[in-house]
Amino acid sequence: MIELQNVTKRYPGNREALSHLNLTIEQGEMAFLTGPSGAGKSTLLKLIAAIEKPTRGQIFINRKNITRIPNRKIPALRRHMGVVFQDHHLLHDRNVFDNVSLPLQIAGFAQVDINRRVRAALDKVDLLDKESMMPITLSGGEQQRVGIARAVVHKPAILLADEPTGNLDPELSAEIMQLFSDFNQVGVTVLIASHDLDLIMRLQKRIIRLRDGQCIDSQSIQSAQEYEVIN
Amino acid sequence: MAKTRHQQPLKRPNLKTRFRAYVRDHLRVLLFSLGKLYRTPFASIMTLLMIAVALALPTCLYVLLNNLQNVTNQWDDAGQITLFLDSGTSEKQIKSVKQQIANNENVEQVVYVPADIALNDFKQRSGFGDLLEGLPDNPLPPTIVVTPVNSAKKGNTLYELRNSLQKLAHVDQVQLDMQWLQRLQAISKIIQRTIFAIGVMLALSVLLVVGNSIRLDIENRRDEIEVTKLIGATDRFIRRPFLYGGLWFGLLGGVLALLLVFIVLLGIRQPTQELVSLYNSNFKLMLPSFKQSLSLILASILLGLLGSWLAVNRRISKIQPS
Repeated sequence: MIELQNVTKRYPGNREALSHLNLTIEQGEMAFLTGPSGAGKSTLLKLIAAIEKPTRGQIFINRKNITRIPNRKIPALRRHMGVVFQDHHLLHDRNVFDNVSLPLQIAGFAQVDINRRVRAALDKVDLLDKESMMPITLSGGEQQRVGIARAVVHKPAILLADEPTGNLDPELSAEIMQLFSDFNQVGVTVLIASHDLDLIMRLQKRIIRLRDGQCIDSQSIQSAQEYEVIN
Repeated sequence: MAKTRHQQPLKRPNLKTRFRAYVRDHLRVLLFSLGKLYRTPFASIMTLLMIAVALALPTCLYVLLNNLQNVTNQWDDAGQITLFLDSGTSEKQIKSVKQQIANNENVEQVVYVPADIALNDFKQRSGFGDLLEGLPDNPLPPTIVVTPVNSAKKGNTLYELRNSLQKLAHVDQVQLDMQWLQRLQAISKIIQRTIFAIGVMLALSVLLVVGNSIRLDIENRRDEIEVTKLIGATDRFIRRPFLYGGLWFGLLGGVLALLLVFIVLLGIRQPTQELVSLYNSNFKLMLPSFKQSLSLILASILLGLLGSWLAVNRRISKIQPS
């Protein structure tokens, strides 16, 4: 589903954010990206979402080479993805419903389908009763869930998340991660950057560890003890 | 482990659905961008007033010029040539002169005004009636008024006609009341050009005013644009509300400009009426016609759209999520 071949990303005037990275994430897989800050987690997600382009190497999404994707083709690529941010990036001049419906409006769905899908997504994140509220009146956890509803409302094949629990307390974080896990259960490929090791180990999914732009370890971990052994 | 139940991917809506969604989105954005103006009332009113003043000024001047041209057009029969004959010319001689003039192909009409009728006319019109009563003789000569054909009313043909009339026997003096009209027309042409130039400059300022407002709006919404791009919006989709914003600026600014024009013209209508009544004229200050009003608003809309397009063009595609 997602394949990086020998990918290097160098920012102007800086050191390499990623160097010679090889990585494959299968369809329907759920994986965590972890590592210290500056290890290249965000850069990796940006390359997959075509926010940045690699300096060297090749990137394939669903067997399509997006390494040198022209700008006009990027919108179509992103419509197959859902992206969740740490600071949820909601639009504050419209209510929850309109925020969540945006990807469907962009793709040109009929209003009945939009209504149905938005309510389904809001139901999934347990915010059905808040659809007409403005984002600013919601709590941090609720705003993050609105962001997730927006990322999944169009049933994307790939769900990317950059520190989705970064601002949340442990209990809320666990709920959010459970949500991602649920989406993975219905076949969505999920890739989450997170440094919350305790939390991601409990989910027993593949953990990709980056350091200095390189993948130092990538395997499925069944338990915390196993993780200790590896280290 | 529970068996994975894969979700059905959402089918891309068919062309008809997408087209209807496209139309719906246009309507939604139309209202949304109007709402945006409403939510920042102070800034919106400032911008609209600037547009309105910039458009109202040349429009007022244009309408006034139009009125002036209407008046001078009514004087087109001033292309007449007046022949003053020698005082002692007999009726027979006058008839022969008349005949000679009528034979000229450039002449449309010949009217003979006998001296006594001319005097009566003059008495009535000039207000010097009592004074003229005291004169022993009629000081006015017999007169022939020649109306050239329309094609001969301008330029050299007219002068040639005048010269040929001058050479006729018994003709004392030929008067051509044309020069002052030509001067007036030349002046009005200068005024017309000047108004046009002012109009172009002010239209340019409307472009800049709209462009600047939209540019500021884009800068304020940079985050929003980035997010929308991240969830797969095309540049066109993002551009739309800004272009509609320009359309609203143009439409509302144009309506406001028209309102200003009417206020100004109605304000000077009364004094003009007083002035022309002193000249016994039935001239009436014309307000902009429906067609002119519509043109003003359409021009304003076009300026608004163009201004926002200039602001939006390239700027949207340069904003990329980071």
